[in-house]
Amino acid sequence: MRALEQKKMLTLIAPSELQRLILETLSRRGIGGYTVVPATGAGASGIQSGMLFSDSNVVIYIILSEPRLLSVLEDLDDMMQRGYRIKAIIQDIALLPRKPESR
Amino acid sequence: MIAGFTQNLLDPAILFFVLGAFIGAIRSNLEIPPAIAKFLSIYLLMALGLKGGAELATKGLPAEGLLAILAAVLMATLVPAYSFLILRRRVDAYDAAAIAATYGSVSAVTFIASQQFLRNHGVEFGGYMTVAMVVMESPAIVMAVLLASYVRSKGGAGQSPAKAGPSGLPPLSMKHVLHEAFTDGAHLLLIGSLLVGFAVGEHGKTMMAPFTADIFKGLLALFLLEMGLMVGRQIFESKVRIDKSLIAFALLMPMVNATVALALAWLFDLSRGDATLLAALSASASYIVVPAIVRYAIPEARPGIYFTMSIAITFPFNILFGIPLYFAVTGMLWN
Repeated sequence: MRALEQKKMLTLIAPSELQRLILETLSRRGIGGYTVVPATGAGASGIQSGMLFSDSNVVIYIILSEPRLLSVLEDLDDMMQRGYRIKAIIQDIALLPRKPESR
Repeated sequence: MIAGFTQNLLDPAILFFVLGAFIGAIRSNLEIPPAIAKFLSIYLLMALGLKGGAELATKGLPAEGLLAILAAVLMATLVPAYSFLILRRRVDAYDAAAIAATYGSVSAVTFIASQQFLRNHGVEFGGYMTVAMVVMESPAIVMAVLLASYVRSKGGAGQSPAKAGPSGLPPLSMKHVLHEAFTDGAHLLLIGSLLVGFAVGEHGKTMMAPFTADIFKGLLALFLLEMGLMVGRQIFESKVRIDKSLIAFALLMPMVNATVALALAWLFDLSRGDATLLAALSASASYIVVPAIVRYAIPEARPGIYFTMSIAITFPFNILFGIPLYFAVTGMLWN
């Protein structure tokens, strides 16, 4: 088996209205790969039932390198300072690398 | 008046709303899948737009319709302005701007329920009232964003959405906010359906009747069941605590706004049906379009406050008591 690659996984939980803003911010840092999953939940802003467009959450997963993660976290910190309600969770992960392209 | 309340409460759609609120309150495990709930709101907006547009095409836009739309524009600018002035004394300026936007804009479901109520009572209203509803959606958002920008400009140093962040994050521009406000999916769908309805006219209305008329009442009942569930859960499960003065605002403001709207309708000599719809629209608070845009445009405001006030207090008040009350008042003044 090939060696595992050490990466970081950034998990963001945010209201769905902020999805585009977050993805645009990631894009400015050169990140174009992510997974978005609709989510429901509850917190300081009340219940996010997912029943209306205005009370739905999303979970965004991004796998990235540590240097890139740090630049993204600076942007996220700026967004949170502005008042945007985003939860950012960072995990160390090991990834089976993509199959090398055949020559 | 009592008969009006009773008749409203015995409407199947309203009873399903009450049932949903009860089921939500007792924490039952009944769930309406979120995708179905969203489908229902898309359906209701489409049906509303199509019917309004087709009626406009058939009957045109009379002088009374223009006056009704003018009254709607006036209400959409007056309500957020005086709401902000009232709220500014009680809450943080950003919360005040967000709540003012929420109450200055409208709830499409309250409008649909009011139309249904008028049909049940055999009272006619103009198709242009859907246009009036559309024009009432956005002015409050623009006003609230301008108010929030003004508050930020007075805020001095420190991080603000109006300034670029230390990381180089661009500032929140008015252009972006206006883009969000006018390209909101629900708003565009309603305007688009209105245009489609207008283009296809009576012929299209007949063709679409199985979709927009025959199943409408049943799907409205299903949507109101879902809204009831949400209201019950917001009231009994949410950890958000709303200040008593804001609860009073959420209960009294609909009646104040409806009174101003009825005075305008009286002044403009609108019909009883149009006056009731204008009052219901002015009394309603947005819980889809405005919260979605305000979360983005005024991030300093607390969504737990403005969203909960709108969905858990004002919406059920209008659906259960407000609409029959405004109708009863027009009955006294218009006859």
